[in-house]
Amino acid sequence: MATIAPFQAGLRASRRRRLARFRAAVPSTFWVGAVTLLLFLLIALTANLWAPYGYADIAGVPIQNPGWSHLLGTDLLGRDVFSRVMLGTAPVVLLSLGSTAVSTLVGALLGVVLALRRGVADALAMRAFEVLISIPFLILGLVLIAAVGVANGGGSWLLVAVVVLIYLPRTTQVVRSAALGLVESDFVAVARARGESRRSIVVRELLPNLSGVALVEFGVRAGYAPILISSLAFLGFGAQPPSPQWGVMISENRSTFASGNVWAVLGPSIALALLVTAINFVTDGVARYLDRSTVRVP
Amino acid sequence: MNLWRMVATRIALGIVTLLLVSAVIYLVVGVLPGDIAVEVLGRNSTAQARHLFDLRLHLNEPLWDRYAQWLGGFVRGHFGESITTGSPVRALVMPALGASARLSAYALVLYVPITLTMALIGAVWSGRGPDSVTSTLTLIGLSLPDFVIGTILIVMFAVVVHWFPAIAGTGAQGFWATLRAITLPAATLAAVMSAYSARMLRSSLIEVLQSQFIRTATLKGTSRWRVIFRHALPNAIVPTLNVTALNLTYLIGGVVVVEVVFSYPGLGQLLVNSIAIRDIPVVEAATLIASGIYIAANVFSDVVAVLVTPRLRYARPAR
Repeated sequence: MATIAPFQAGLRASRRRRLARFRAAVPSTFWVGAVTLLLFLLIALTANLWAPYGYADIAGVPIQNPGWSHLLGTDLLGRDVFSRVMLGTAPVVLLSLGSTAVSTLVGALLGVVLALRRGVADALAMRAFEVLISIPFLILGLVLIAAVGVANGGGSWLLVAVVVLIYLPRTTQVVRSAALGLVESDFVAVARARGESRRSIVVRELLPNLSGVALVEFGVRAGYAPILISSLAFLGFGAQPPSPQWGVMISENRSTFASGNVWAVLGPSIALALLVTAINFVTDGVARYLDRSTVRVP
Repeated sequence: MNLWRMVATRIALGIVTLLLVSAVIYLVVGVLPGDIAVEVLGRNSTAQARHLFDLRLHLNEPLWDRYAQWLGGFVRGHFGESITTGSPVRALVMPALGASARLSAYALVLYVPITLTMALIGAVWSGRGPDSVTSTLTLIGLSLPDFVIGTILIVMFAVVVHWFPAIAGTGAQGFWATLRAITLPAATLAAVMSAYSARMLRSSLIEVLQSQFIRTATLKGTSRWRVIFRHALPNAIVPTLNVTALNLTYLIGGVVVVEVVFSYPGLGQLLVNSIAIRDIPVVEAATLIASGIYIAANVFSDVVAVLVTPRLRYARPAR
């Protein structure tokens, strides 16, 4: 015990130093974004416990202004806008983060393995991904959902599959090109000479060195995923009514926006903008700390 | 010489990619939906009607032959016939393509002055009042999806003040009336595109404004605006050119959403409607054309990147 204590103290000190360095590197917007994002997660996970009305409940007269009984008024069918925005948080936030996480994890692993192996499999995979990237991503998403059937379009798994199919080729390209530089480096050569297995080289040598690339990639893609999912819903190819997903809400109430149905459109729009901004703030902070660019090819 | 070879290689690669894309589109759109005859004619249709339907669309032939015929027809400018109306796909797609092209061109015309003004205000008054206004505006542009920006513009400029119509599609006669009708959708696209490039140009302008040669120019008595326009701007614009090329590729997807918001009869609207009624030949043609333009825009942006950064002419860009 006594012999380990100084070592642990050293670890703790180095962790504290790293935290201090992180605090110095990230702008204040990072913390604003982080707190907002946590709030969104909290709402996503608990909204169905405390939302005043259900998402399909007719709660009052249609198109009411905000007031004490309806914090954001009611929509064109008389449903409570506040409740719907809160209940719509879960699908948007969880689908965005979840599908981006899947595509980042798979893409990072694939990118590293392809960079390490090169050869025919690598060439074929990269060509295939280039073809997928060469179809405008929104159109690719629409066509995929259409192929499966618009009626099944609201299914969460289909949306996850669409987002993964759009993001995976792009993430794999980014990680692979970062890994290509590492594969040639000395520490990989040493690991090979030591007789480490390929799996060990991927998991213990390459992936830890690429976690920064993957993290920023995750942030950039996650920041766009809510817009992508809402756009699909808005066009009628994502979640279907009476889902409270924000894109559906905006699309349903848009036609009566001009005749006073303001909050049923602004509510979900503001929520979407806050979520995207929060994710972008956090990503920006992390990217600055890691000294990486957040510019991406669409 | 080296440069032209590189450009030629890039274009050739683009054509190969387009061929592969056409195969993917044909497979996904034409094969995955299962029995199209049942989908279109309904479950209660007779076997004979379905057989005739299959014959008309050549669905009884092998996939490879169908693909070859479709592609061959496409190259010769014959896109097949619409399932629902029976009219040639070409007659549906070409006017829509023209409409989308007009909208996109107008959006690009608006994009340049918006980007320049926002970036200049942000850089010249950096850290002060005007900068925080433009920074907030560009941040909103970055975080709001295009369909929300479009809806807000409709309410502001078509409902509150009646400057522009809310629906862009119908019956505007003459050049100026058409221009007025598509101002709001074009402004929506321009707003999304310039949000990003204005931030980019602002930060590179600020960087350039701090350099020695700007100090020299200021100290020798050059006027402030001449320093900015003649000395700083040309040196700050290169990264923005690259972003502009990327924006071109955004435009092709963005146009789909914005056309639906403003009921504008362009290629995006046609695609969305055709998907909804499962008009496969129209979907195939519209998707392939959009992908072709997208690939062309990507080739163009790569070539622009090589032209403005001589460094790239010698080293192969990292893939």
